[in-house]
Amino acid sequence: MLLNQFLLLAAILFSIGVYGVIVRRNGVLVLMSIELILNAVNINLVAFGANSGIAGQVFALFVIAVAAAEVGVGLAIVLLIYRNRRSVDIDQLDELKG
Amino acid sequence: MPDFVAPTLDLHALAPEFVLAGVVCVLLLLDVVLLDRAKAIVGSIAGLGLLGSLVPILTLATSDHPTRTMFGGSYVVDSTSLLLKALFIVSAYVVVLLSTNYIGEGDYWESEYYTLLVSSVLGMTVMASARDLISIFVALELLSIPAYMLAAWSKRDGRSNEAGMKYYLMGVFASAILLYGMSLLYGWSGSTQLSEIGRAIGEKNSPAVTLGVVFVLVGFAFKVSAVPFHMWAPDTYEGAPTPVTAFLAVASKAAGFVALIQVIGQALVLRMNVMIPVVAVLAALSMTIGNLIALRQTNVIRMLAYSGIAQAGFMLAPFVASQYGGIDAIVIYLVLYAATNLGAFAVVMAIARRTRSAEISSFGGLFSYSPGLAVALSVFLASFVGIPPLGIWYGKLSVMRALIESQGRWATVLAIFVALNTAIAAYYYLNVAKTMWFDDAPEGESTPIKVPTSLRFAVGIALVATIALGVYPGPLTDAATPEATPAAAPSGR
Amino acid sequence: MSSASDFLREYLTVLILGGVGAALVGLLLGASHLLRPARRQPGKSLTYESGVDPVGTGWTQSQIRYYVFALLFVMFDVEAVFIFPWATRLEAYGGFGLVEMGIFVFILLLGLVYAWRKGVLKWV
Repeated sequence: MLLNQFLLLAAILFSIGVYGVIVRRNGVLVLMSIELILNAVNINLVAFGANSGIAGQVFALFVIAVAAAEVGVGLAIVLLIYRNRRSVDIDQLDELKG
Repeated sequence: MPDFVAPTLDLHALAPEFVLAGVVCVLLLLDVVLLDRAKAIVGSIAGLGLLGSLVPILTLATSDHPTRTMFGGSYVVDSTSLLLKALFIVSAYVVVLLSTNYIGEGDYWESEYYTLLVSSVLGMTVMASARDLISIFVALELLSIPAYMLAAWSKRDGRSNEAGMKYYLMGVFASAILLYGMSLLYGWSGSTQLSEIGRAIGEKNSPAVTLGVVFVLVGFAFKVSAVPFHMWAPDTYEGAPTPVTAFLAVASKAAGFVALIQVIGQALVLRMNVMIPVVAVLAALSMTIGNLIALRQTNVIRMLAYSGIAQAGFMLAPFVASQYGGIDAIVIYLVLYAATNLGAFAVVMAIARRTRSAEISSFGGLFSYSPGLAVALSVFLASFVGIPPLGIWYGKLSVMRALIESQGRWATVLAIFVALNTAIAAYYYLNVAKTMWFDDAPEGESTPIKVPTSLRFAVGIALVATIALGVYPGPLTDAATPEATPAAAPSGR
Repeated sequence: MSSASDFLREYLTVLILGGVGAALVGLLLGASHLLRPARRQPGKSLTYESGVDPVGTGWTQSQIRYYVFALLFVMFDVEAVFIFPWATRLEAYGGFGLVEMGIFVFILLLGLVYAWRKGVLKWV
């Protein structure tokens, strides 16, 4: 069945994204990994939506729009940190502990 | 293509959301038109707008048809959702009161601050009524995205930046995982509506459903800062501006729980066998680890953060008893927790205004020079411990009752955990009270602390709510109990 | 659905997925570690090993002003996605759709006006 291939692709993208979030230390690359996960979700939703009505595609549209807003905020915070510390390495964020 | 039929809008039921959306637009317009001159009025307009949106909630609560359903069951306004909306709005109002001086005195952007705060509340009120994956997702993002910005609000403070970044990364990662779970649930059931999903996954089981349920629960566990997904909470709470911390710790966390209540109560009740172990483990870990780490904190805000993690554990526990009034217990607990926690933050803010520190040791001898604040904080701490008749004791009672009545294996174990952890928690809460009452004041601290009117008012509201709801919880229970029990079949345990 | 084995089987899926994932990562990283020869030379870590010497780091900065414009573009571009479905069936949605879209566009415009008033649309 065709659906399975889409789901497999989505699962692979999801795994790559999670791997990226955990391993990458650069704020911007972490954001890109999160985008990968969201795109995996979109593939899932559209693939499922092909079988069971329009809701999946509508959901995917909302995910796209919200993802853009999230990345906008995320980049703004990364910029803020860069301005104050001249680095976007998230491992260096260690002022708060305990 | 089927003809389009315009959905009937129940304007009365949607009025609170409309008012809030209007307030957001007005605040933005004011900022656009007046620029810097808007600073003087935005705070009061945000406060008034929030109070204004309470009016339709009151009229809805007293109307003849308290339960209204729209968009084919995707949006439901009933007594529980009204109670939760009122909780969000009142909490946000208290946060506005807390912010008035704090944001005004610091180097902050004021208009945007209140605009974002109110949009976040709008997301929460939508969340309280959403019964559909798409609306839940959009509401969740509407309430989270402004919160990420608020956490990083003091732009030049590296600690606030860090708080915002950690909160943002964790929150976005969590919602991505949540979405993946949602997509699996949607794919299996063919519908985004919670009741349909509940029906579909109740009939047939598959590994995909299990994966979906686990991913959804993990995603929400991040939002409510349950152990082991709690790492962001203490750092974010400490670094963010204190009024924002109060907002995150109360309203944002409550919204996460509301989403969980919706998803579990409507969709996952028939998959209790998958859900119970996950939730039970999360609850037990959150209570125990949250409390154990809170024991060795020296900063009150970090202590409140860890105690919030532990309290999240108390609130997660009744989910395993969903069919025995567990959900009602969670709603009751949420309301009482919000009142107590807001009050505690307000007092800590009032004290930190002068001492410039939130270390527990700086609270020494508070009773000798500022008895009012010391008594108020003691009331809130006693409520956290669960001493009758103050606030949270009734929440703890409801939680225990639900757990014991359900008589499940997991529920019984959790009941024991709740009892043990209540005892542990008493130690560190009362330790702060002891410092205030019996320790000596640091040198030079003898004049009473001046508390601004807005802060005084905020403490007053929280104090009245904590005491009144603890002494007379009847109306709260009525509002939290749905009139008709949802048609849920017994679980397959 | 009542026996313990059914219950365990459901969790087995989660476990297998996690196990396969972990094993795959370990296998790939391990295999590449074993197979590759490790001879370190500074020349090898250049971005273009046999080409022009790169100037600066890989993280060269572009004008910060592009960021605001790019961001505004992306936001409005993405929001347009909600207008297309409405436009395709404009007549079917009638007055209701028109009012809804009016509110939607009003809020978008408010965002644009905000950006304009705060001076981010000016290229200075």
